[in-house]
Amino acid sequence: MKEKVLVAMSGGVDSSVTLLKIIEMGYEAIGVTMKLWEYSAVGGNNLQDNNCCAVSSINNAKLICEKMGVPHYTIDFTESFKDKVVDNFVNEYLKGRTPNPCVRCNSFIIWDTFIEQADLLGAKYIATGHYAKIKKNKNDYAIEKGVDSKKDQAYVLWGIPKETLQRTILPLGDLTKEEVRNIAREHKLETAETPESMEICFIADNNYKRFINEYAKDKTNKIQDGKTLNEKGEVIGSNDGYINYTIGQRKGIGLTNPDPLYVKKIDANTNTITVSEKKSLFKSKCRVSKINWLIDNPTFPLNLDCQIRYNGYISRASINSINQDYIVSFKEPQLAITPGQSIVFYDNNQLLGGGIIELINEA
Amino acid sequence: MQNIKTFYFDSAATTPIDLEVIKLMNDINLNHFGNPSSIHQQGQKSHNIIEKSRKSIAQLLECSDSEILFTSGGSESNNIVLKGVLKAGDHFITSSYEHPSIIKLVKELQSKNIEVSIIKPNIDGIIETHMVLSEIKENTKLVSIMYVNNELGTLNPIPEIGEALKNKNIFFHSDAVQYAGKGELNLSSLSIDMLSLGAHKFYGPKGIGILYIKKGIDIEPLISGGGQENGMRAGTENISAIAGMDLALNIAHSNFTSNHDYVKSLENHFLKKLTENNIDYRINGEHNRINGILNITFFQVDGHALLINLDMLNIAISYGSACSSGSASVPKTLLEINMPEEEARCTVRISIGKTINIDDIDFLADSIKNIIGRIKK
Repeated sequence: MKEKVLVAMSGGVDSSVTLLKIIEMGYEAIGVTMKLWEYSAVGGNNLQDNNCCAVSSINNAKLICEKMGVPHYTIDFTESFKDKVVDNFVNEYLKGRTPNPCVRCNSFIIWDTFIEQADLLGAKYIATGHYAKIKKNKNDYAIEKGVDSKKDQAYVLWGIPKETLQRTILPLGDLTKEEVRNIAREHKLETAETPESMEICFIADNNYKRFINEYAKDKTNKIQDGKTLNEKGEVIGSNDGYINYTIGQRKGIGLTNPDPLYVKKIDANTNTITVSEKKSLFKSKCRVSKINWLIDNPTFPLNLDCQIRYNGYISRASINSINQDYIVSFKEPQLAITPGQSIVFYDNNQLLGGGIIELINEA
Repeated sequence: MQNIKTFYFDSAATTPIDLEVIKLMNDINLNHFGNPSSIHQQGQKSHNIIEKSRKSIAQLLECSDSEILFTSGGSESNNIVLKGVLKAGDHFITSSYEHPSIIKLVKELQSKNIEVSIIKPNIDGIIETHMVLSEIKENTKLVSIMYVNNELGTLNPIPEIGEALKNKNIFFHSDAVQYAGKGELNLSSLSIDMLSLGAHKFYGPKGIGILYIKKGIDIEPLISGGGQENGMRAGTENISAIAGMDLALNIAHSNFTSNHDYVKSLENHFLKKLTENNIDYRINGEHNRINGILNITFFQVDGHALLINLDMLNIAISYGSACSSGSASVPKTLLEINMPEEEARCTVRISIGKTINIDDIDFLADSIKNIIGRIKK
């Protein structure tokens, strides 16, 4: 009997080709769409074609599955998605931090619940359309970057539980996006030309400020205009309230200065933002919380490659574990290290793990 | 699609169309395409097919043919009643476990300054007559209570409620979509003002239904335009579907007793098999239930996962309230009868129709046993 594989179907071109590949590999596939969000709940008037939880996307997933002779089911995870991802996203912004909801979704919802569903449906493996690879080395499994450097999604996978890797298949890691589209075109899949998915899947219009203001009205209503400080702590202007800014932001600060000014620090408690010139935003250290290792028993200090934002560049660093605190020291100072964002560790192409960036006071 | 044997235990969602009905509809679609409103002979032929069906249905339900309005189905019939009868300042009584085509209209009604009282069913899944009576106010204009609950299969005391509301100057409507074809429906002896039916629950076609409106009741139409259906529903009639519904209803009525006994015997066999297989289950709404709808809690078994596992064996059952995306949430009706959410999640609906045979039942019971053995928490 063929082994069963649960294939995550968002209804886009990537998941369609993932399903195709799984069938070509000789598995028996089951298509599953995880319904994570109800757009009508907050700002549902801005639906676009690429909203993955919209009925039209789920309909696409069903059509593709039928075409390939595979059953399709939609499973409702809206409650846990709201609890673990959306609430956290909003709360992080309310604390003046910049969260990464895709990472949380993969870390706390997609993999765990998908494996759980696979068990319930008698499937040995799960498969997703992430642009990354699973490499087997003897009995050890690791994640590697996808070959398409522009699409690589290893960054958002650092938080998935290591023990699930041996049950995960990522068939798109060896392909470029263009190759994936061409495969879809060759097979005349209806989804071949679906647009790229948006930045944050649950924000239909990509306007996170609008979303937070609507979602947490009772809290954001209380945030009044804030003070803008310089590095000495002197008030040099006012702003729309800290919630509207992110570290490294240049536009919309509303101050004139011979050299452009950037947001260096956000303080939710005092409703202030501190601005400075670009050179002052470089730091060479940060602390890392909520770390997840995808390698066994790392030894410290560990020299590795780091990425501090999605699609950001790679920099050399060393991580040390001091009193259960992880401190990363960068070889070159980094611009706008942003609390709440993910820091991801690599050894060349292998994903070693990652964590959440926390501030550190530097002399 | 390949022709794989499927095992259909979801007749409460919809039924397959009787072969005789399909043949009749095909014949009408092939030969009688004339517009029923046209003056020529083709038009007259179509017109007469509709009116013959109306008379036949009226005879069967023991009402006058002028009291039969053809609609697109239960949802439209329910909408016509609520939107056509109630006006600002009126009071409306209904139950919390009605079909969405009733309960989802409540907000809209309230926004039009219509007062609404919603009754919760008792723990056996029944709306009792006294519950309705205790909600009556001076301005109560309409009461709408479903005949049979679609999730539980529980039978409400519609004749008794009708009698109790008599001479109170209150209209009484019942959504009988889940009841029609399964039990006697005699409108001459039933004290009721309006009743909704949908053909696809009694082996007729989809997209066609009936609204019975007692003579003398003034209702605003939902769709205006041409003068079809006495000005009550504009739009060229679906001739073959109307005739198909008539035939399906006649078939159902002439086989009531034999169908009832057959379904009952299958049900008993199924429950016996579950017990023999040592499965821990409970039938919900057991006290006053029609045959063919089994709402079953399989303790410590995720209902949605049970459904999917059965579906992969080509066995169709139902879990929860389906939505447009095809996902399902916890069965709301069960929460209305105060079932703990944890148990509601372990509850599915298995509905047995006349096309099922005893081997199908054995396969279902054995499959449930195997799956539960694997997924029980």
